[in-house]
Amino acid sequence: MATPAFSFTPSTFQKLHPAEFFRRFTTEGVRPDGRLLDAFRPTTVHHGVISTANGSAMVRIGGTTVVCGVKAEVAEPKLDAPDQGYLVPNVELSPMCSSKFRPGPPSEQAQAVSEAINRVLKESKVLDLKDLCIEEGKAVWVLYVDAVCVAYDGNIFDAALAAIMAALKNVRIRKPTYQEGTIKVSGGSTATDENSFRLNLARAPLSATFAIFDTTLTILADPNVTEETISDGQISITLDETGLLCGVTKIGAASCSQSVMKDCVQSAKKRTLQLRGIMNQQ
Amino acid sequence: MSHNQIGLRIDGRRPAELRKITSTTCVLSQADGSAYLEHGNTKVLAAVYGPREARHRALVLHDRAILNVELNVAPFSSGERRRRSKNDKRLLEMASFVKQTFEPVVIATLYPRSQIDIYLQVIQHDGGTLQACINATTLALIDAGIAMTDYVCACTAGWVEREAAIDLNYIEESSDTSEVTIAMLPKSSKITLAQMESRLHVDKLEEVFRLAGEGCKQMYEVMDKTIRDRAEDLARKMTV
Repeated sequence: MATPAFSFTPSTFQKLHPAEFFRRFTTEGVRPDGRLLDAFRPTTVHHGVISTANGSAMVRIGGTTVVCGVKAEVAEPKLDAPDQGYLVPNVELSPMCSSKFRPGPPSEQAQAVSEAINRVLKESKVLDLKDLCIEEGKAVWVLYVDAVCVAYDGNIFDAALAAIMAALKNVRIRKPTYQEGTIKVSGGSTATDENSFRLNLARAPLSATFAIFDTTLTILADPNVTEETISDGQISITLDETGLLCGVTKIGAASCSQSVMKDCVQSAKKRTLQLRGIMNQQ
Repeated sequence: MSHNQIGLRIDGRRPAELRKITSTTCVLSQADGSAYLEHGNTKVLAAVYGPREARHRALVLHDRAILNVELNVAPFSSGERRRRSKNDKRLLEMASFVKQTFEPVVIATLYPRSQIDIYLQVIQHDGGTLQACINATTLALIDAGIAMTDYVCACTAGWVEREAAIDLNYIEESSDTSEVTIAMLPKSSKITLAQMESRLHVDKLEEVFRLAGEGCKQMYEVMDKTIRDRAEDLARKMTV
């Protein structure tokens, strides 16, 4: 056997050929960070972390951390829906969370994730918007749902959606009074069941994301940032608490067979169930 | 007896008492250095990236690193939701205060032709944002291993209800009080930043300054302990 012309340290090899480096691991059924291919990273959920917000939560999935705060404000309803409030979700990927992001207007990725979450919340009718009505045609609640990513290590969609759902569950809004064109929202003393109400969530969609690596169709659950950059596509499966599908997204160049899709749905079922357990712990 | 009559403030503190401080370093996975700091209910995250290659060639200085500070306020951080644009003048001003505070302290000549990015995220606002930002930045810079001549410790002081008090909270800050933020190098007791933008009788300035300076020294104790605990923790992990 000929001696190789070059010899590298593993870290040099990883920098020069990230995909090949990664492949050496996946062929053995593991990943560089020690996880099995179908393993999700450790996840924690904290509720009510911000006292200035009506509802808040912090979710950590491995190295990805998202803080979500919900603010309720009184506004005029839209003309075509006089008895409905509205939800405004937004996901922020600031340059703080990764060296990938540059300062300036929201990146394409941030806007895409915001829109994907907006669609999930809207299409699966998480919240009956009529619950947010104060006085028909005059005043409604607007819920500003802001998810700020403070550390980005891949899989922002799962983390942001989980943070948003946990924050929405946590929301308390003061009961308003409507009298002769003016709205009064009492402040001061702490919120109790008598002077405030909680949101009535019809369902709680949560997602599980998988990356497709290589043409050999290696499926990686919960990709981190390096895995995201070398993967050829992603599958996101969103399920509610009864196991009903709320959304399936498959993006990227790699095509995958129906059986792969089926495996992902099965794995997503298990994962969302586990995530729900973590969310309900506190 | 009300709080004021026995000389306590609205949240039950004494005039020269800081709020509860919680501080940790190395909280973010991606940044080279990071810190999380709470002054009571004011919560700030700081991340430091660098020294790294400067983004714009035109800005490169051949003999030193450039500092870049960006401040971001989460929309849910204060009582009223306000979407602050990145170009909000108030935020830009605060960012430039932080930048100018650290420029003389960071030994930038050790990192020629590079850039150090400092990103600050205000998660919850309850008064004293600037002091929290400066203190968090100090911790994050130390965590990133960037050479500095000294800590920078900041503290606010003001004239609240006919008495000088330190570390004002949001209620004290907003009820027409004059507030001074100072940033100090604790070893030499030099002041790198003093900022006030409201009316204060000139006779009272000295007392307010003195108290703010004492606040900075208290702040130094807390920050130094955070750093030392972290270093000891790391040392212990390395020996195992």
